Amino acid sequence: MDCYSFDKVISDYIESNLSAKQKQEANEHLAQCPACSEKLGDMAQLLDALRTLPKPVTRPDFESRLMARIERQKQQKESPFIHVFHEYSRVISVAAAVLLFVATSLFVYTSVVLPGSPASFPSASIRSVEPAAALPAAAAGVRPEQASGTAEKALPDTNRVKNPDYNSRIMMVNE
Amino acid sequence: MMDKEKIKFTDEELVARFQQGDERAYIELVKRYKDRLLNFVYRYLNSFEQSEDVVQDTLMKLYTSAHMYREIAKFSTWIFTIAANLAKSELRRLKRRRVVSIHTMGYDDSEYEIPSEDFDPEKETTSNYGEKQIQEAIDTLPDQFKTVIILREVQQLSYEEISQILGISIGTVKSRINRGRLRLQKLLKDLKVR
Repeated sequence: MDCYSFDKVISDYIESNLSAKQKQEANEHLAQCPACSEKLGDMAQLLDALRTLPKPVTRPDFESRLMARIERQKQQKESPFIHVFHEYSRVISVAAAVLLFVATSLFVYTSVVLPGSPASFPSASIRSVEPAAALPAAAAGVRPEQASGTAEKALPDTNRVKNPDYNSRIMMVNE
Repeated sequence: MMDKEKIKFTDEELVARFQQGDERAYIELVKRYKDRLLNFVYRYLNSFEQSEDVVQDTLMKLYTSAHMYREIAKFSTWIFTIAANLAKSELRRLKRRRVVSIHTMGYDDSEYEIPSEDFDPEKETTSNYGEKQIQEAIDTLPDQFKTVIILREVQQLSYEEISQILGISIGTVKSRINRGRLRLQKLLKDLKVR
């Protein structure tokens, strides 16, 4: 047996797993090879050191932390909606943000870029008050200010109703 | 009443009871295995905090997947297989993080691993090898040797159990253990010379 062959069986030699013939060959090699003898002694010491390495232990609250985790998992299983929400919370928030952006963009586009469209600002619909009066005037070729004058006439004067001496006060100011 | 009873149960009997819904059997398995698993995972990762997390994940897996266990294998083999797989994934994650940490470290930040207060790796073993030296050498071992060395030398598992945990033949286990021991010996020699 040479040093290379001894290396291959050194573990079996230590664990006494060699056949009688192999063991005899190994012993003969060890008797004439101080390097392999030293290696064998060193290896036995190393294995002993590995076996006696200090053993770490879990912290005292290990079990309570584990049971708390299990309890949390049980609760998640009981309410699958919450579990799905937690699982996909990022996706859901991104989707919500995109939806909000699209909705805002649509609103701005329809009310600012296309003011004549039906979805424009409320002020656009105020202009079309009294459509019945404005429409025939436009059709007859009347100017808009004339048409609006006729429309204003139709409105009641609320001040006059509430203050009976309204007209006389105006007259005094004019004098 | 149960305390006296459960001492009689083997691991496999406890799993069977847990599969039938007895949570006390699960707690007993946790008590039996938490420190054994930690010893294995700690030697593999060399980080107390991360190792405890991996052991928690392993025991969570036991809780959620106990129905997957079949009595064709020993329970210890099954649970160590789960722990070994989780530890491997964690080591890959830690290595990626350590690479990032080293790249972003300044000259004054040479220590980036915070050692646990509960556990002192400086403590000398019975031989002339210090635990820190041995752990450093184990960390340097290629993964295929590292796992078998820890399972065999630290956990004292049989060749057959290691073969089942890692899904490799007994011949391969023996060969890896022998080569792993020689490598470890050489690494420790080199560490002493340094």
